[in-house]
Formats: sequence, structure tokens, C-alpha cells
Amino acid sequence: MLEIIGAVIIVLGAMVFVTGALALLRFPDAYTHVSAVGTAGGIGLVLIVVGVLLHDFTVSNAGVAVLIVIAQLLTSAVGSMALARSAYLARSPLRRVTFNELEDDTSARLD
Amino acid sequence: MIGVVIGIVLVGLAGVSTVYRMVTGPTDAERAIAGDMLMFCVIALLALFGVLLDTPSALEIVLIAALLAFLSTIALARALTRGRR
Repeated sequence: MLEIIGAVIIVLGAMVFVTGALALLRFPDAYTHVSAVGTAGGIGLVLIVVGVLLHDFTVSNAGVAVLIVIAQLLTSAVGSMALARSAYLARSPLRRVTFNELEDDTSARLD
Repeated sequence: MIGVVIGIVLVGLAGVSTVYRMVTGPTDAERAIAGDMLMFCVIALLALFGVLLDTPSALEIVLIAALLAFLSTIALARALTRGRR
């Protein structure tokens, strides 16, 4: 019974990964790519780790899985924001832009 | 066990399309972002193959790989701006 729930959760996480890869192929811009990759790497990897834990549930495996989930949810957002900031500093082009609040701030741009 | 095989196939397809984006990215920023996504795909494949091959310590390897993925993401973001903060 536990293995069936684990298999369903693993397939859900793999579908989140496929969604992120499809967004990498379809989206026009580096910043939308960052949003897709942050979502897929954060919640998809958490779902896959929970499914792997449900396949063989012991107490030590549960402790390690809790550590993985906490570390992944903390570091995924921080890494994505660092990548987006570096892409803006390296002058990656914005497409389909409606407004850009960082346009006046020329102090941090690379020359 | 059939769910693990389906997950391996789907994550492998995601990794292959990510490699295509890495090869044909218009700018360096998109190549760095695709490298981050490829690292996540490799970590997911590590966890799934640990279940498929009945490895006793798969989750510890995944923990170390997740922390190294954060370190590599920060290193990519630093290398993208040529060392300027």
C-alpha cells in the first residue's frame, strides 16, 4: 500500500520535471527560464525524495529525507534569485517587457 | 516498481531536452540556467536508481548532492558576471 502511494508521488514529481523542461524549450527569456527551473528543481525533487522514502520506510531514512526536504526548499529559491540577478547584471535581453523597474539603476550594471 | 521506471524515463527525457537548451542557448545566462536544471535532473536520477538497484544508502548520497547543487548554482551565478559582485 505504501509503495503504491510512493509510486504515484514519484510520477507526480517526474511530471513536474517534464513541465520545467518544456518551459525551458518554450519560454522566450532567461528570467522566465529561471522561474521554471526554480519551481521544478524545488518541488519536483522534494516530491521524488518523498516517494523514494515511502518505498523503503525506516527511521534513519526518514531523518535524512527531512534534512533533504528542508535543504532543498531553502536553497532552491536562493539559488534561483542569485542566477536571475547575475543574468540581469550580464545584460541578458528582456523580451515582451511591459515595465522594468531596474532601468534607472545603472550603478550595478557591468560595463 | 513500475512507477520508478516511469519516473526514470520522464526525468531522462527532461534531461535530454535540457541538454538541447544548453547547446543552443542564445546567451550565456540561459546556458547557466540549463546547467542548474541538469544538476537537479541528475540528483533525481540518483534517487530513483537507488530505489531501482536496492542501494542501502541512496538518500545520504542525495543529501550530499543537493548541498553540492546549491554550491554549484552560486558558483555559476558568480562566474556569469565574470567575478564582479
